[in-house]
Amino acid sequence: MRNVFSRSSTLLRKLLVVILLAVTLMIVDNFTSWLKPAYSAVDNLARPLYWIANIPLRVQEWSANSATPRSEIESDNLRLTKESLIYHGQLQRMSDLAAENLRLRRLLNATELLQDSVLVTEVIGVSANPLRHTLTIDRGTADGVFIGQPLLDAEGLMGQIIKVHKRHSTALLITDSSHALPVHVLRNGLRSIAEGNADYNRLNLKFVSPTADIREGDELVSSGLGGLYPAGYPVGTVLNIASEPGDNFLKIDIDPSAEIDRSRHLLLLYTSRDSAAGAVK
Amino acid sequence: MESDNRGVAVCLTLILAVVFSLMPLSGDWIVWKPNFLLLVVMAWIIHWPNDLGIFFAASVGLLGDILLRMTLGHSVVVFALCAAAIALLSRWAKYLSMLQRALLVALIISLVAVLEASVFIFYGRPSAIEHLPMKILLSMLAWPFIDRLVARLQPKRA
Repeated sequence: MRNVFSRSSTLLRKLLVVILLAVTLMIVDNFTSWLKPAYSAVDNLARPLYWIANIPLRVQEWSANSATPRSEIESDNLRLTKESLIYHGQLQRMSDLAAENLRLRRLLNATELLQDSVLVTEVIGVSANPLRHTLTIDRGTADGVFIGQPLLDAEGLMGQIIKVHKRHSTALLITDSSHALPVHVLRNGLRSIAEGNADYNRLNLKFVSPTADIREGDELVSSGLGGLYPAGYPVGTVLNIASEPGDNFLKIDIDPSAEIDRSRHLLLLYTSRDSAAGAVK
Repeated sequence: MESDNRGVAVCLTLILAVVFSLMPLSGDWIVWKPNFLLLVVMAWIIHWPNDLGIFFAASVGLLGDILLRMTLGHSVVVFALCAAAIALLSRWAKYLSMLQRALLVALIISLVAVLEASVFIFYGRPSAIEHLPMKILLSMLAWPFIDRLVARLQPKRA
């Protein structure tokens, strides 16, 4: 019995020491950048682990591609050719509109629209912590990636780069609870802030007054305010609007445009003000 | 396995747990994924209580914090609390059946997860507490495999 009690008191002492150390670490991590080199070193060492962790996904993709019948591939090819033709047609019209827009802006003596370029990247890791929405991508400083760089998928804005290493980087997704993004309603230009809430399929719109002109189905795009994200990229669609008596603001849920938890191939965005090496138009 | 190889065995299981933790999933599976690192640490402490304890668990927690991008020190506390509970009960836990051991692990994980979620809620941060039952269930289902693997890998006594 005595042995049991002495064992528990030793355990308690050890536990207290560990908790004290953990609290110190939390303070150091939150208020200083002393541990950044250690993070970077471990991240570089962990890269092979990310590669191994992705093997099942690659095998699944490979087997899905191998098992697709030839007729399906041919019909897919035909559909993609048609789509490409349609997009090329639309692009010609867009070039015309862009040129017209530029002429009008020059007439107004306004700043020229920035031409953005992109770099294709692949997701090599996803945060294992469900409350922290981050991705690891296979591009780093060697490819001209920089902190704060916007990340897109084919459908819309995904997030921004928060850590850069030589051959890989970490991006914070727009659905992370610590992320906020200035947006406006495409229909009428109403400005607001889209905040993440640790749900991959939802964003919340903040500070919209109950009298504001906003409807379900309204599309939201980045407003470019704050200077981090360029203006005009799709962010999401208004899913539902709730107003509770006594609340100063509406509760608005947004369905993100980007396939946040599914997209594998992404685009790193360079605006013409970013002097980026290796960017491909 | 020779006792000289015990470090290799521990490292091997930890690497496996990290790989499973980093495996990309979509939809609700991301939130439901068991904490494989924590399960492996608990299995090692149950099977090897005299050599591995709170400091081992805290070190793995620190590694988890860095790899899984949590606030540094967060998993250290969670792992140390679970390790302390397991270390206290390890003398009895060794003689429990697989199901009883799975239930014990589920109970400890639940208590620590509720404590963790309370802290998150207190600070107004999302806690994902609604997904906890599914996560616990999946942890219980994963436990027998981890327990058996660790039992096979643990060094034989001289």
